[in-house]
Amino acid sequence: MAQSTKGKLNYRCPSCFMRDLDIDMFYDKEKKEYYCLRCCYRGSEEDVLQKNEMARFRYGNISKRIKEFD
Amino acid sequence: MDKLILNIIHRPEMVPEYAEKVTGHGKEEDISRESLLTESLDIFKTQQEIAHKHGLKTTIQMTYASLFNDEAVSLAKEHHEKYGDEISLTLLGLPCEEFRKKYKTKDFCIWMFSMEDKKAIVKDVFEKFYERFGFYPESTGSYYIDAELTNYIKEEYPSIKCAVATCWEEGPKAYRTCNNSWYTIFDGGPWNPWIPSKQNTHAPAKDESEDSGIVAIPHLSRDLMACFDGNGSNFGTHPQNVLRGMIYDTEKWEYPYLYNLIDQYRHLAKYNRGYAYNMMFVGPGWMNKMGRWEAPYELLLKSYEDGMAYYAKLKEEGALEEMTMSEFADHYRKTHTYEQPECALWKDILYGSDKQYFWYVDPYMRTCLDMNQGGAMIDLRPYVAKLERPVGIGTKYVQDASYPFLIQANYRAGYFTHYAGEGTVKSLKVSYKGEEVDLCLCRTKAKYSEEGTKHIVKLDPVTIEFSDLEIDIVSTFVFEEGSSQIKVIREITRTTNPEAVVEFNEYMTACYGTTEYPEDMTNVILSVENDKEKQEIKYNYKCREAELENAKDVTAIVPEIETVVKIIPKDENVTGYYREGYAFSPMFTLGLKKEIKGKGEMTTWLNLQKAN
Repeated sequence: MAQSTKGKLNYRCPSCFMRDLDIDMFYDKEKKEYYCLRCCYRGSEEDVLQKNEMARFRYGNISKRIKEFD
Repeated sequence: MDKLILNIIHRPEMVPEYAEKVTGHGKEEDISRESLLTESLDIFKTQQEIAHKHGLKTTIQMTYASLFNDEAVSLAKEHHEKYGDEISLTLLGLPCEEFRKKYKTKDFCIWMFSMEDKKAIVKDVFEKFYERFGFYPESTGSYYIDAELTNYIKEEYPSIKCAVATCWEEGPKAYRTCNNSWYTIFDGGPWNPWIPSKQNTHAPAKDESEDSGIVAIPHLSRDLMACFDGNGSNFGTHPQNVLRGMIYDTEKWEYPYLYNLIDQYRHLAKYNRGYAYNMMFVGPGWMNKMGRWEAPYELLLKSYEDGMAYYAKLKEEGALEEMTMSEFADHYRKTHTYEQPECALWKDILYGSDKQYFWYVDPYMRTCLDMNQGGAMIDLRPYVAKLERPVGIGTKYVQDASYPFLIQANYRAGYFTHYAGEGTVKSLKVSYKGEEVDLCLCRTKAKYSEEGTKHIVKLDPVTIEFSDLEIDIVSTFVFEEGSSQIKVIREITRTTNPEAVVEFNEYMTACYGTTEYPEDMTNVILSVENDKEKQEIKYNYKCREAELENAKDVTAIVPEIETVVKIIPKDENVTGYYREGYAFSPMFTLGLKKEIKGKGEMTTWLNLQKAN
């Protein structure tokens, strides 16, 4: 099995991101999946992107332009 | 209302942070790779071009590495002539072949070097700058500059009047977010510009005798709520920080949060006599051609373009004025006094929680009240001590440059603890017939006003429901300039039984430290005193307590941070107490209790002094 490489966009582990950890994942080209060195997350690019959308759940105002600050 | 003042800073960093680690993956380390140097300079050129295209001048902070690059030097000169950019000098961006050969180290953070090396590097960098430009710079900076270094720079190079001197709340949270590998540990400073004291960078000078001679600016303008409980590098006026936080629409590539953040900073003028400030400082590594944080280069670039375009729009509308760093220092000196605090009634603009904090900083303290917890104090840094705490190799604190807290409700628990013990917080407990309610559980909002030198935060009434009594309580906090204390008024404004007697317990649970982990408490001294006697103990984790009627004050002396903290009552018929903690709860509590009938009130002061 050949060594893993960085992915094309330095995808971070979505599971770690949700616990406030930024950890770049590595890409296993044989399994066609990204995986985290720290936790047990692994997934395809599609899965990573989907989980990243999930991670945004806490930003209730992510799309809101706020004009009133009082 | 005055204009938002903006500092835009760019640095030609020949070996951008992240770039070698990220884009160089799979190659042996080589910080002199031609492709790396070319790309780095290209990013700097792009950033400059974007700012100038929008009619905004910048401060160009030359790095040591860039001083060896003729093109970078020539560009700086050209942009100074053509656009009025200031040519400045940063102590970031030290890594380059020349540096490594000379200093034989891979260290790159100026505050972490030994004092001997700091002096040598400063001399080297400043003289190289002079050699290339024929003058000494008026501004400098790093992610953090310790007081000893500032004092040295000011002594050797008096032309320096402004410096980037800290990143707000970049401490244990940032360290952890970076998989415990990013050693920028400096919590506890001001979020907006200040005049640092000679003794400690975080603590503002109280007068000329303490004045370090520079105006400090923070690295970025950060979200005063999100950064208190999250990674500082996700929530600031740094477009790629916002991308790193994933705070954008992946389909539309839109990030209203960035503009909301800028606008909330504009809004802070309301609490600061018309003054509002913003700082944008994006290192080239963040606009890497390879993309970063799941974002392709095109999005990294677009976000920077959009950020600048928004500032430009504000400028066109007459709502913004950009200044170079040295221009800003002059402006700040003209418009601010030493005692003038920085105030921020900050609203959650990201999570949709409706939470509100009030942040306050002056030469004697930095503190934060959480209106979602009834105005509980959740952060307290006793700047009055002007703690001399050198950092760097050869000192006790090689990396940890944070200003110590007495209260930090996230690191050392606040109201909520697991099963046992207490956390650091200051609040009010109300008791009646065996029932007890803490205002930490009363969610409310605050209004800010000013009376001369008094800065007043008045909270909307909260209702306390007992089984056969209901009362409304209004809390008012008065911060008086130069007083080193906070007046706290708790007033019952409505009661369902005017004959009912409730007990108010104004308390503070505290400890000291800079991180989540406990420190040795055995030097702490707790006391309570009235006209007749004084009870006092030296902390020894024995869970002891004492109380005295008609207390004059309750006091804790915390020698490690050279601080004396007191709670002082206005009235005589108040019982004071202290409580020692124990090993599973290494805190102490100071409190004052008073019985109140009907619509009475209780006034106390939280007072901070330097311990001798």
